[in-house]
Amino acid sequence: MEHDSQIPEMGHVEATRRRFLKWLIAVLAAVNALIAGIPFLRSLLGPSVAAQKNEWSKVAAVDLLPQDSPVDMRFMAESGEAYLHNTVLRSVWVIKHSPEKISVFSPVCTHLGCYYQWNGQADRFECPCHASVFAPDGKVISGPAPRPLDTLESKIENGYLLVKWENFKAGVPTKIPVA
Amino acid sequence: MTSRPIEWINRWINERWPLSAVLRLAIDEEIPGGSRFVYTDGSAVFLLFTLQAITGILQVLFYVPTVDHAYDSLNYLRTEVPFGWLIHGMHFWGANLMIVVLALHMTRAFIWGAYKKPRELVWLAGVLLLLVTMGFSFTGSPLTWDQHGYWAGEVGTSIAGTIPVVGDMQKRLLRGGEGMGQLTLSRFFALHTMVLPLLLVSAFGLHIIAFKVRGTVGPWDALKRRLSGPFWPDQVYKDVLTGSAIFILLIFLSVFVPPVFWGPVDILDTNYVPKPDWNFLFLYQVLKYFQGPLEPVGTVGVPTVIVLLFVTLPFTDRNPEKNPFRRPLVMLCGFIFAVTITALTLLGYYSRGLAELPAGSPAVSSLLGPDDAGAAKTPSVSQPSDQSAPAQKTGGMPSATVETNSRTMPGEGAHVIGNAERGGAVFGNYCAGCHGAKGAGGMQNPGSDEGKVPQLNPVEREIYNKDPKAFAENLDRFIQHGLVPPGKKPLLSMPAFGDTHGLTQQQIANVEAYIMSLNGIDRGQIVNPGMEPRNFFILVASVYILMLFIQGGIRIKSGIP
Ligand code: FES
Repeated sequence: MEHDSQIPEMGHVEATRRRFLKWLIAVLAAVNALIAGIPFLRSLLGPSVAAQKNEWSKVAAVDLLPQDSPVDMRFMAESGEAYLHNTVLRSVWVIKHSPEKISVFSPVCTHLGCYYQWNGQADRFECPCHASVFAPDGKVISGPAPRPLDTLESKIENGYLLVKWENFKAGVPTKIPVA
Repeated sequence: MTSRPIEWINRWINERWPLSAVLRLAIDEEIPGGSRFVYTDGSAVFLLFTLQAITGILQVLFYVPTVDHAYDSLNYLRTEVPFGWLIHGMHFWGANLMIVVLALHMTRAFIWGAYKKPRELVWLAGVLLLLVTMGFSFTGSPLTWDQHGYWAGEVGTSIAGTIPVVGDMQKRLLRGGEGMGQLTLSRFFALHTMVLPLLLVSAFGLHIIAFKVRGTVGPWDALKRRLSGPFWPDQVYKDVLTGSAIFILLIFLSVFVPPVFWGPVDILDTNYVPKPDWNFLFLYQVLKYFQGPLEPVGTVGVPTVIVLLFVTLPFTDRNPEKNPFRRPLVMLCGFIFAVTITALTLLGYYSRGLAELPAGSPAVSSLLGPDDAGAAKTPSVSQPSDQSAPAQKTGGMPSATVETNSRTMPGEGAHVIGNAERGGAVFGNYCAGCHGAKGAGGMQNPGSDEGKVPQLNPVEREIYNKDPKAFAENLDRFIQHGLVPPGKKPLLSMPAFGDTHGLTQQQIANVEAYIMSLNGIDRGQIVNPGMEPRNFFILVASVYILMLFIQGGIRIKSGIP
């Protein structure tokens, strides 16, 4: 304040110098904010890790699977989220068409990621969250789901069904694996 | 130096720090028209904020924000820490009440025309406070990491994800990844306990300073405005009375309507219909009207419009008239707005979720492991399982805990407070076939020594225990590992629901809570209340009544009106 009151008497050079200083303060502050801000924000967006490569999990003995009717199979599998490494219970939907041909669906609704259930009476999968309905082959019958149920990679070895667990991005028309 | 120490201290401070000036700013105020009870809503909000801060800090001393401990650590506080039930109950009810009182406060500001020039900033800071409060509510619910909170968070963050262009990034920012997980919980915790409180304090500062500059609007009636009354102590006295009423209401609710134990998060439980908290129900209901390509209209459009309406109100309604009877149009708009929000909330509350599924009962067969799949058509008649449960046979995966491998130890489910109602649904699907509806009578079991499946209501003496934790452990051993009843060749045997993953640990916890409730034991019973909640309430009420009498007596005796 005291200094500002002297402005009328001060010289042209001094005024320019002060204007320049104010400008410099603003620029420096902005640069500092960006130098720290960009990395800080980047940290919040999380690591852009590639979709995690999972191991094969033994899920069921093929002989014991019922013919042509979906079964919710549960198995323990390694899961890694950030720094947590747990063994978690996973579930997949398995339909045995023939001893050689088995479809395996991820249990996660392609809409927003709820777990859907099988309605035996109506012969279809139904999601409790927003009422998406899927046919036994995974096609969308009705509801907001943007794509058919996600199939999971599977193979048969020594009479056992092995499945590779994966997560996919919810709410988009294409099946994109995510971490 | 003066002989009166208080004056001396006062002067000493004021020479260095403007204490008296600050105090004057805080309490020196003439209220046009005098003090009134309707004006106490503002200080009620303030009281609630303060109480949330205190109970919040107390909770953080016990609560652990990790996915595997959040629910259990909170329940430890609620059931085993003396007065933990009170701390959590007051925080829970305080949060709900806050939204109600804030709505009332804003309604009053609206009716009294308190948003009009020159008080626009008071109103704007108030809108900011409302948004911050909604943020608290949104981030607070998932911290419990139970079925209710988890899904409220999942649905809410998904909604953020449907915003065009930036939605995806926004969702990632909120969740810390694609899905809900530990990083999500950490973020919600940080927002709820650090970011939002800072925002709240700043917004509150803005609000109160702007308010102090111009003071209360006072009555719209010019006649009534002629007289005025002091803020201190007249208005403050009324504020304290209202505050005390709120205080006792919070305690009452914590004692008689404690928050529900929703049961642990279980994403495999497809019978749970996620719904947001009541204060977001109007939005949830709106979303149902905008589906498919219109979705962003509901998820972004409507909330943005609402916020814009609030923010622009002081600038769109520039009529200086304050008397609500002389501005019918604005009043009508406000009324329609309030009715719409209320109606949407009620619709959302009474709707059965977005799905039109029948009360879901998944085919039991579809949930049993491969060993049982053959017997799936009649799941209740499962053969005595051999030692190789599917979990062990199907992959040699390390089991979740050591306990689940041992056939005598209780599993994880025993140590988690389940939800009896959800357990009842599971019981109906998996247990009632053999143990009878509500566990009331077991069916015949030829070949076993007892000849019958044991009934669970009432349960056998050796299993029953008054201590909910011990009771749960006793039940858990059977549900985890199953049992082949003694006898030559029993037809039925108890399946090892835990070992085979036929039921998740969460479902097991719920079933245990249900069976215990059949036997008159509450799984979420407060083990160490500090003082019985009811007695505590009676004590508190008596103190208030006593004070009422004492001050009445003093008034009469000294002739104070
Ligand atoms: S998450 Fe399945 S329908 Fe929305």
